[in-house]
Parts: sequence; C-alpha cells; structure tokens
Amino acid sequence: MSALLDIRNLHVTFGAGPDAVQAVRGVTLKVAEGESYGIVGESGSGKSTVLRAICGLAPTSEGSILLGGTELTAPRRADFYRRVQMVFQDPYASLHPRHTVDRVLSEPLAIHGFDDRERRVEQALTDVGLGPSFRFRYPHQLSGGQRQRVAVARALILEPRVLLLDEPTSALDASIQAEVLNLLDRLRTERGLTYVMVSHDLAVVAHMCDRLMVMQHGQAVEELTRDALRARAATTDYTRQLLTASHGYTKAAS
Amino acid sequence: MSALLTVEDLRITFPTRQGPSEVVRGVSFTLGRERLGIVGESGSGKSQTGRALLGLTPPPGTATAKRLEFDGIDLRSASPKQWRALRGGRMSMVMQDPKFSLNPVMTIGRQIMEALAFHGRSGRAEKKARAMAMLEAVQIRDPERVFRAYPHELSGGMGQRAMIAMMLVTEPDLLIADEPTSALDVTVQIEVLRILDALVTDRGMGLIFISHDLRLVASFCDRVLVMYAGRVVEELKASELDRAQHPYTQGLMNCLPKIDNDTRPLPTMTRDASWAL
Repeated sequence: MSALLDIRNLHVTFGAGPDAVQAVRGVTLKVAEGESYGIVGESGSGKSTVLRAICGLAPTSEGSILLGGTELTAPRRADFYRRVQMVFQDPYASLHPRHTVDRVLSEPLAIHGFDDRERRVEQALTDVGLGPSFRFRYPHQLSGGQRQRVAVARALILEPRVLLLDEPTSALDASIQAEVLNLLDRLRTERGLTYVMVSHDLAVVAHMCDRLMVMQHGQAVEELTRDALRARAATTDYTRQLLTASHGYTKAAS
Repeated sequence: MSALLTVEDLRITFPTRQGPSEVVRGVSFTLGRERLGIVGESGSGKSQTGRALLGLTPPPGTATAKRLEFDGIDLRSASPKQWRALRGGRMSMVMQDPKFSLNPVMTIGRQIMEALAFHGRSGRAEKKARAMAMLEAVQIRDPERVFRAYPHELSGGMGQRAMIAMMLVTEPDLLIADEPTSALDVTVQIEVLRILDALVTDRGMGLIFISHDLRLVASFCDRVLVMYAGRVVEELKASELDRAQHPYTQGLMNCLPKIDNDTRPLPTMTRDASWAL
C-alpha cells in the first residue's frame, strides 16, 4: 500500500525536565490516498496532538511524518499547506471576529498567489452550501453550523488533498452535526479527498471513516476497520468500554 | 402519586432592544419522585426552565407562572429567606462544568461543610463525618485526599462527583442536573450517571435531568420532555421514544450517526415554522 500520509513512531513532548508531558508516545499510522481515517479517544489521549503535529502546530520530538513519501520539514514549507489543511473544533474561536467571510477566504488565496480570487471565493461558498450572499458577513452574524461551513470553505479553498478534521462537529447541535457531516462526506466523494478525523464520538467516526485508531494515554490502543467495529470485533477492553458507552446509559456494570 | 413539583404555564422573558423576547413560553409539567429528562438543542429554553425552578433566572430576565409549587410551597411568592432555606437544602442543582461552578480558592471539604453549616448542622466533627461519608457515596476512592484538595487538583470526573456530593449532602428532595455529564468523557459519564441513579433511587428524590443528548436521556430517565423554541413539543415515556409523534423528536432521533447502520447521507431536519408557534 502506498501511503499518502505515513506517521512512524511519533512522539510529542511538551516542556522539559521533570515537568515534561509526553502527549503522544509512539504512534504509527498510515493513511492511503482517498481514505478516511479516524482517531478516537477521550480527553488527554493525545488524539488532537497527533493532528497538530502533522500540520506543524505541535513539536515532533521523535519519529517522523512523511507526506507522499517525503519527510516533512520543520517549519513546514508553504506548499505543504496547499496539500494539507485543517478544520478546528470550535467555530466560535477559529474565525477572526473582525474579519468578514470574504477576508477569511481571500487571505489564503493571496498568501499562496492564486489567481481568479473573486470566482474562487464565491465557488467555495457555494460548495459548502452557503452561497455568495454570505460573503460580506461577520462571524457573529452566522450560526454555529454556518461558521463551521466557513471554516470548511477556508480549508478547501486552497484545493488541498488532505483535510485534517479536529472534532469538527462536537460544538454543534445534533441536527446541525448531521448537516456538517453530510457536507464533509459529499466533498470527499466529489473531490477524492483524504481525511484524518479526530473525535471523541465513536458513532461519528464510524459513520465517517473506513479505518480508525483508538488512543489512550498518548498511545494507540487498537486499530480497526469500520466493519470490525460493527462486528464488535474489538480486541481490547478499552475499545469495548467505549463501544458500550456509545449506546447510552446502562444500569448495572457488567 | 403526589406531585413534588407542579409547574403550570411557566414563561421567561428577557428584554431586548427589539422588545421583550420570550425564551420559555408556557411550559407545564408535574414531577413526582421520578427521573424526568428535559431535552432540546441550544436555545430551546431547557436550561432557563431549570434555573427558573430555583428562582435563578438571571436579571433582567423575569419568570412568571400560573402555578409554581414545590411540596405545597408557592415558589412565586417565596421571600428571599424562604428561597435560601430551599435552595441547596431541599432542592439543589448540579451544573455542567465543575471547573466553573466550584469555588477555586476553597477546598472541597470546606465547600461541602459550608453547605451543611448553612442548612443547620453544627458540630464540626459531625459535618466532617457526613462530608466524608458523602464523598465515599459518590465513589471517590480516596475521600481523605479529595476532602483536602482544591478543585484544580481534581480531574473533571472527580470534580463532578465532588459537586454531586456537595449537592446531595443536605439530602434534598429535588435535584436539578443541568448537563451534569456533558463535560466528561464517555466512560466517566456512565460512572457518574450510575452514582446519580443509585442515590436518586435510594433516597427517593425527584430528579430533573437537562441535556441535549436524547440518546442518553432516553436510556437514563423515566419520562422525557422535548423542548423546541421555548415550548414543550412532546412529552413521552423514555421507553416509548421510538414511537415519538412530533417530527422534531423524530428528527432528533434520526439525525444521529449510528455505529451499526450506514445511512448516507444522514437524515437532516427541515424545521417547520409551525413548530415554533
């Protein structure tokens, strides 16, 4: 399998000396072109740190990350961000409150020297189901779901091959979550994108991803396919616990 | 079944520049010693409903009702003194995030003992014993350490248990839990709910469980009120949720991704303007 994204024995350590925190401790994963890969875990499991390490927002203290066969340099080069883009968890925090949607979307185009910006901005808004009428609004004039659509549009406007999704729907209501998940699903099919998606919600990851990894305490607990998950073929206790918990409350601890 | 709490036509209004805005519009229900769930999405008025029951509608908002009775006491005309005796003593509330609702500069033990002192227990030894017993009851393995700990020294799950302990130590008749487990990890969430479940059952309390998570509420409560735009659109038994009549309830049920079936795209909701009428 030729992997588009190849992470080998990734370690991420914050701080030094006795206060050092090992957020990620030896994670290895491969994601093929066009695949959708999920990372599931609870808070503090290091799942988001893996994503942040891929796009250079967290330091790689050991191990390597390869994209299309070449090792990534730190800091990342500009062309990396044309191939890999990220959507963050909280649409209320990740958009500049005093920039219009137009400015949010035009800025990456200007940085990367794209032409035909006018058309691209309008196209990006149409693609995420908002339409050109949203172009000159400010974030506070948008609902949570609309903001997350703008964040997706911002990520996609550079026509990347890989999209890193960090809990893209956990700040949204259930009905809005369904809309955003459908949007992401449709965009991936239309454009053959590769997704790496992080979530604490096993059902969301099972819906979106072909393969997934369960993380706990900075380590990979288990890697399994969607079919294995459906067949409840989890081999570790922790994954089974997550599976049980995802069905809601049960009275007795059995 | 005698009603512990009766709410009739509860309305909560906030003044805005565009004139008064009614966020809760005529909510009525009765509660016995049972577990009642209130479900809705953000802005549905579910949290405001819960707060109004404790007289905690934040000013300049105002809450009015035709009837608001707790165990024979008319809450609408309760004096501040009566409220202080009720709140934390006979009815208490567990908030969403222990990080923001515990006092950061007071140890857990002192906060629990303060609640006891406020509601008429005197002896220090007695208060400490009761606080420790309560911490054990919420399955904190090392109650001595937690008793002396400050909130920032505890994990989210521990903090939430400590808050539940603090709210239950006065043995209230009614507990209002506003998203008590939403800030917690799924596996911890189940543990905290088990504790809550056991305490509610053993002590015969009434519980109002407010949450956005329909699946969780359905599996935890006896009865569910579904709120939309400040109104109760449907009331049903938790076990009969799959027989929901209202399109909003059905939509909420269907739009969740499920591990076992692959509906693609997920059904989304078309909000009918008439639901909000």
